[in-house]
Amino acid sequence: MTRDPGASPERTRLAWRRTGLSAAAVALLATRPAVRPGAGPAEWLIAAATMAGWAALVALALHRAPGLRARPPRPAPRSIRAYALITAALAVLGGLVVML
Amino acid sequence: MFGGLRQWFDPESAHTEGTTPDYRFSLANERTFLAWIRTGLALIAGGLACAQFLPPLPIARLREIIAIALLVLGGMVALRAVDHWARAERAMRLGIDLPRSRFPAVLAIVVAIGAVVLVGTVLHGIVT
Repeated sequence: MTRDPGASPERTRLAWRRTGLSAAAVALLATRPAVRPGAGPAEWLIAAATMAGWAALVALALHRAPGLRARPPRPAPRSIRAYALITAALAVLGGLVVML
Repeated sequence: MFGGLRQWFDPESAHTEGTTPDYRFSLANERTFLAWIRTGLALIAGGLACAQFLPPLPIARLREIIAIALLVLGGMVALRAVDHWARAERAMRLGIDLPRSRFPAVLAIVVAIGAVVLVGTVLHGIVT
């Protein structure tokens, strides 16, 4: 049971971090139309919402870290659900970006 | 596919049934969930990239249709990931078989068909 006390939580912590980095790519692509010439309030609003979503994903990963450091690590059903729902919300915001 | 919808909004219900599994299995389930989320994010980023970087395609609005299809797929992958995570967690607590799913195969086929259509469209654009 305690043969690899570090590896599993550590890998999971890195997986959270990696996922936040993937979300950064989505946030950058969704923000891109807002910094081009001719961008209006709609683009700015969507960019702000996407950035807020990305910040929330990173915050959830940071929030998860102490639970992973605990021995044994604590589960995080709420963080996991919130993460998936915010990711789906990013897809909706992406749809708005495409349809603008 | 979304059988465990109730479990999503009632997280405590998943922690009263059965027995707590070895934390390493729970963490592996969590990493699988995160890997699926990354798949979803990649599809979403692909959709946004299609809309922003593809030149206008020979068929009207095809570029937007591809982008929206990828975004919808990405959103579905994210929602399905949390559902699958919840069902795997429950199965581990109850000591039953892990949930089986056709979703990865369906996703692979959809993505492959989409890639073939896209290649065909781009080639058609080059030829004509």
